[in-house]
Amino acid sequence: MNTGRERATTAEDESATRTEGERTPTERDERATTGDSEVESALLGEDLEVGYPTTEEPVVECTRIDVPEGEITALVGPNGSGKSTLLKALSDHLEPEQGVVALNGRNIEEFGGKELARELGHLSQENDSPESLTVEELVYHGRYPHRGFFDSVTEADHEAVERAIDIAGVEELRDREVGALSGGQKQLVWIAMVLAQETDVLLLDEPTTFLDLHHQLRVLETIRRLNEEQDVTVAVVLHDLSQAVRFADYIVAMDDGGIYDWGPPEDVVTEQLLVDVFGVDAAVTRSPELQILPKRALTDE
Amino acid sequence: MASDTRRANHARETGLLGWLDGSLASVVLGSVAVVFVAGLVQVSFGTYSMTLAEAWRAVFDPDVVFDPQVWNAFLVGGELPEMSKRNLVVWNIRVPRVLVAALVGTNLAVSGAIFQAITRNELASPYVLGVSSGAGLAVLLTLVVFSGLAPFLPIFASLGGAVAFLLVYGIAWKGGTSPVRLVLAGIIVSTIFWSLQQGLFYLADDLGVVQSAIAWTTGSLTGVDWAQVRIALPWTALSVLLALAGARQLNVLLLGERTAKSLGMSVETVRFALAGVAVLAASAAISVAGIVSFVGLVVPHMVRTVVGTDYKRLVVGCIFAGPALVVVADVGARLALNPTQVPVGVVTGLVGGPYFLYLMRKQREMGEL
Repeated sequence: MNTGRERATTAEDESATRTEGERTPTERDERATTGDSEVESALLGEDLEVGYPTTEEPVVECTRIDVPEGEITALVGPNGSGKSTLLKALSDHLEPEQGVVALNGRNIEEFGGKELARELGHLSQENDSPESLTVEELVYHGRYPHRGFFDSVTEADHEAVERAIDIAGVEELRDREVGALSGGQKQLVWIAMVLAQETDVLLLDEPTTFLDLHHQLRVLETIRRLNEEQDVTVAVVLHDLSQAVRFADYIVAMDDGGIYDWGPPEDVVTEQLLVDVFGVDAAVTRSPELQILPKRALTDE
Repeated sequence: MASDTRRANHARETGLLGWLDGSLASVVLGSVAVVFVAGLVQVSFGTYSMTLAEAWRAVFDPDVVFDPQVWNAFLVGGELPEMSKRNLVVWNIRVPRVLVAALVGTNLAVSGAIFQAITRNELASPYVLGVSSGAGLAVLLTLVVFSGLAPFLPIFASLGGAVAFLLVYGIAWKGGTSPVRLVLAGIIVSTIFWSLQQGLFYLADDLGVVQSAIAWTTGSLTGVDWAQVRIALPWTALSVLLALAGARQLNVLLLGERTAKSLGMSVETVRFALAGVAVLAASAAISVAGIVSFVGLVVPHMVRTVVGTDYKRLVVGCIFAGPALVVVADVGARLALNPTQVPVGVVTGLVGGPYFLYLMRKQREMGEL
């Protein structure tokens, strides 16, 4: 059911209505059908129209979005292109006006709250906690979906928390108060909390924005480790295209509320994409590895 | 190895009594001591005066304390057996007043703590969602318009508070609520109800009615006895149990709505249920004492500065610290201008206000949970 042809048609429909002078449909078709057509999707959105109660027009419209199982998918695009909105729809934080989001083939609306939270983790862009909460206490809250109303902490909870603290590398922060941490440390701690949920699918909204380079890389390495060691499916909104190219297996490029293109970074990231989506004149080199060298911002004519 | 000891530590922390550490124990023991001393002062002094020793003897009189018939009379409302005048004054008039004060303190403090988590605002009180204005309006309506129903005043006051709360929720609801919408709706309802209440004051032609209305709307413990203990005790026990059971939900709510939802909480359901518990607690207090202000705002705040934001510890602290404030305040209300008694709500404001000012000057950050 999940053929590349469908995806390609989608991307083509949307981009064709907006922009001209890009690749021809046949080129797109060929590219999308080669290589990755056998991908299993952990999370799949179809015919989505997503908006907010305050907006009249949907903010995001896309015929199909795939989050392939066991892979890291990066959502990239300029500000306001609808990345976060799409992620909210995928995580059931925003009910789509139209369309269905399915987790492992089952509509996420059918899941109970805690049931979904055991399968699908979501970390917002900005998070707030009481200042005096300790890191360990915060990470234990990640066990919420696994605990009944009157359940006390079990051995499984301890183990999950230890593992989460270990993977996120926040052992030395364990007894500190969250309010006293730097932005980067906070982000790692929040990631540890969402890891303690022990979900198979993890959605992260701009986890590296506003962090210094060191912590950006630590966050991305944590995600990579999680994906490799625990086989967790990840969808992550990233601001930085070069980072997305380095860390993600798949890239979803979003533009103006729709999906411009979808696929492995080598296929998706082109000079044309940088012009069309980001409004940037850049050089893309492919050997020895994919690199983007931005040159100048293009002005709207 | 290190992680094993850590785990053991944490097992202790999260065990049955793990949350009872030094800071919480000091709040609990300190509060118990304050309630005890203030209670003893309260039973010793008054129009029928006796020495501390006499009062002490009466309070611990084994003939009373171990007589099941006496307790049957107190707690169920049976026939009171004969006792000495001193015992009667202590046990039938002064002790129940201390107990009611303690129950009111517990209810308001727990209620305030819950509302502060729901609205994520340290400056929220049990009355933030319109409960006080609804209760106040119901009191005025009963006293001024439907004066034949005056015996049911406690019930109407509680119901008025609950109705106002539901109204606030209805106004705030638009496909869901948010802390800000709830607080704004609370302000809207309070403003309107308060105006109506003031208008009704104008219609009252009897000074006694006005005084009675003021006693209810500022909170008074004058004339309470075992009947009020019987009214408040079961609801207090219920709301305290529910608040303790909901402590972890409150902790997760404090992480913000989005995070709570990501963790699988049905935020709206949990928030409404917890708000219901808080309104229940506030109503129990209102039904016996009227609208005592400031306790629900200042007590959770005081306790938080000592035990931190964890709600299990905070609720336990409030259960004990609330009575400390109200019992002390009621000593002042009853004895400061003897023989005239002032409403206890006036004194809680006079005691709580300066303490709040002190906290505000001392702490750098405030208003954030």
